[in-house]
Amino acid sequence: MSDIFDKDLLQRCISCGFCLPACPTYALTGDEASSPRGRITLMRALEPGELAADDPALVEQSSFCLGCRACEPVCPAGVRYGALLEQWRDHQWRGRRRPWPARLLMGIVARAWLLGLQGLARRHARTRPAPAGPSLLLGCVERGLYPGVSRAAVRLRPELAAPSRQGCCGALHAHNGDSAAGARLARTLGGRLPGTIVTTAGGCAAHLAEHLGRDRVREFGEYLAEQGHRPAGEVRVAGRRARVALQDSCHGRNALGVHRQPRQLIAAVADYVELPGAADCCGAAGTYALLRPHDSRRVLAPKLAAIEQADVDFVVAVNPGCLRQLRRGLRGSRVRAVHLAELLALAGGNGPYPPGRR
Amino acid sequence: MRLGATAVRALTKAVGEEHVRFTPGELAPYRRDATPLFTGHPDAVVFPADTGEVAAVLGVATEHGIPVVPRGAGSNLCAATVPSHGGIVLVLTRLNRILELSRDELLARVQPGVAVARLAETAAHAGLLYPPDPGSRGVATVGGTIATCAGGLRGLKYGVTRNYVLGLEAVLPTGETIRTGGRLWKDVAGYDLTRLLTGSEGTLAVITEATVALLPMPSHSRTGVAYFGSLAEAGQAVSAILAAGVVPATLEFLDRKCVAAVEAHARLGLRTDAGALLLFGDDGPIEVVAGNMVRIRTLCTEAGAWETTLAEDVAAADALLAARRCSLPALSRLGALTILEDATVPRPRLADMVARIDEIADRHGLHIATFGHAGDGNLHPTCVLDPGEHGAADRAHKAFAEIFAAALELGGTITGEHGVGAAKLPFLADRVGDAQLALLRRVKQAFDPAGILNPGKLGS
Repeated sequence: MSDIFDKDLLQRCISCGFCLPACPTYALTGDEASSPRGRITLMRALEPGELAADDPALVEQSSFCLGCRACEPVCPAGVRYGALLEQWRDHQWRGRRRPWPARLLMGIVARAWLLGLQGLARRHARTRPAPAGPSLLLGCVERGLYPGVSRAAVRLRPELAAPSRQGCCGALHAHNGDSAAGARLARTLGGRLPGTIVTTAGGCAAHLAEHLGRDRVREFGEYLAEQGHRPAGEVRVAGRRARVALQDSCHGRNALGVHRQPRQLIAAVADYVELPGAADCCGAAGTYALLRPHDSRRVLAPKLAAIEQADVDFVVAVNPGCLRQLRRGLRGSRVRAVHLAELLALAGGNGPYPPGRR
Repeated sequence: MRLGATAVRALTKAVGEEHVRFTPGELAPYRRDATPLFTGHPDAVVFPADTGEVAAVLGVATEHGIPVVPRGAGSNLCAATVPSHGGIVLVLTRLNRILELSRDELLARVQPGVAVARLAETAAHAGLLYPPDPGSRGVATVGGTIATCAGGLRGLKYGVTRNYVLGLEAVLPTGETIRTGGRLWKDVAGYDLTRLLTGSEGTLAVITEATVALLPMPSHSRTGVAYFGSLAEAGQAVSAILAAGVVPATLEFLDRKCVAAVEAHARLGLRTDAGALLLFGDDGPIEVVAGNMVRIRTLCTEAGAWETTLAEDVAAADALLAARRCSLPALSRLGALTILEDATVPRPRLADMVARIDEIADRHGLHIATFGHAGDGNLHPTCVLDPGEHGAADRAHKAFAEIFAAALELGGTITGEHGVGAAKLPFLADRVGDAQLALLRRVKQAFDPAGILNPGKLGS
């Protein structure tokens, strides 16, 4: 008996199969092996050594899983699948077995000074540190790819401190087979940003909540709602109120239970349109879009169809990975993908226009 | 058993390389279904695309004498899809289209891999109701629920799966494709093979298409709850309600242990001092529903209910139904191994049966809580165990054997809706008797002379 997994966590699953219809990869294949229950069966075969880590099915399924955790809210037995997946990848993707693009990214984002360099080229929000918080997490990817998001966030909530030297939360590490580094980075970041940490990335929010405690972390929309933020203005397109949809952040929704707040905020400044499957993963899934681009696009495809069908002007993301995924998918479309902070800033009349550009 | 190279080649040819699995890792997830403590060892998993490919796979299996276990989503609770004798697991999830929905004829034609919830939602979109409503409706497939004749929460008023299957297309293990019944409500040409295949648990033929009946969607529904000091009083209320000519859509009960577990888990504000909780509900025209609610509440009060409450709106009704729906989740959190069982007794014996279950559980030192469908006498005694505890599973098996014996003694049955599968096969003779068991075997023989379809289950 090895101890790849926490025994209690692995025992929790009662194999009822209620997770199957919630799983995006099961929806693609109809194959039990690519369902949460099937993957837990594989983990249970790996634990005592019945199957080896280099078994092709284990290699494939540990990587095919998006890690969206849509299986968690529907689980009657309260299985913490996300935690099991981290433990699985810790074993499965150790050392050289980790896909090289993930290794490269993890090496970069673990160095706070390297992240800080992005600020030379990209104009993200930056303020002095606030000794008591609340602070805005700039993110390792977001500050470089979408610097406008943090600027919009700070414009909406000037009390948020955004010091440049804060580092990465470690979610990337935890999801790619190095949960120890993921936990360490989260704690370091918790030390650098005292008080409440507000984040515009659902994935970071869930990871930080896991390691710093739920009380210290607020997803951006959740924070606004808690502060009683009343969004100003209105988003208009072609002389009418804009039609706006939301793409949930998987971890924001499935791990933190945040889904009501962004919808209400959007509805305050535009006509909110609920997309069928708004809660389902868009296929970005952290490094997934990079590691498995083909499967990532297969997961995204029905969502793009639903967005076009819904005849909306904007689709709002609450996580930078989803934002990137949607923008790539919507190239050539009339629909624009924006972050919630950008949409609200736009409504207030001081956001960039057209939004959705860098 | 291991497959020979010829069989492997033939299976690959039958469905295409992408749709066969042979390696240990790929096969491992198909060792089991939702039934605890039952596992098998498949030699191959195949995913046919259509009826023709199903026939081709069965042809290969017959030629080489390989067992075949048809499988939908694997959510059954009787080990019906566990490959006890190895062989091929035939997964039907690729046959996942709703072929037709007719409002004029009140029917749908569906492939077996469609989830029950998807069929029900599609029907609801057209203003129609597909009544079979098993707890696993989100995951369970139409094919699987027909093969196990699944029941659910609406059994009393609407019946179970068999009441809605009009016709089937199925492939026999000998290779022929048959069509039984069809779009007709009246059709007595021949033995009723549609009913025979419904509940045959994949032992007679592989269902590849079904024609199912639909009903107009009822316009209104209401839900309420009543607390009783004891299950005996709740049982009297159920009898009184039915005797008064009211057949409600919902009549569910939770025993004391269940209420305690649910309240500890979900904090719904349930009265944990009560001996039983009875959920009632009805649907139909607004005035009929309103009248039935008044009568049910009165009858509950006369039977000794401490209090009865009616949900004011849909959200409140959902909150009440949540108490029933989260029984299993709540109980499963009490221990890592949860065995959800199924037995049925004549309605008036419900309270006697729960008393017997409690007595058996106490004697074996087990935690068994019971919830279920009061309206049709269908109980789900649920045992929660620590699998690490030495001999716990054995004690549970002994206790359940006594529970099934008690159900039979009270004029009931060993399974109301989960099925026989591998799990209940040892108890089947006690329920049906030797003559009927021999007949079942001869029926099986007629369909499947080589004995390749789901061996070790019904008909074995």
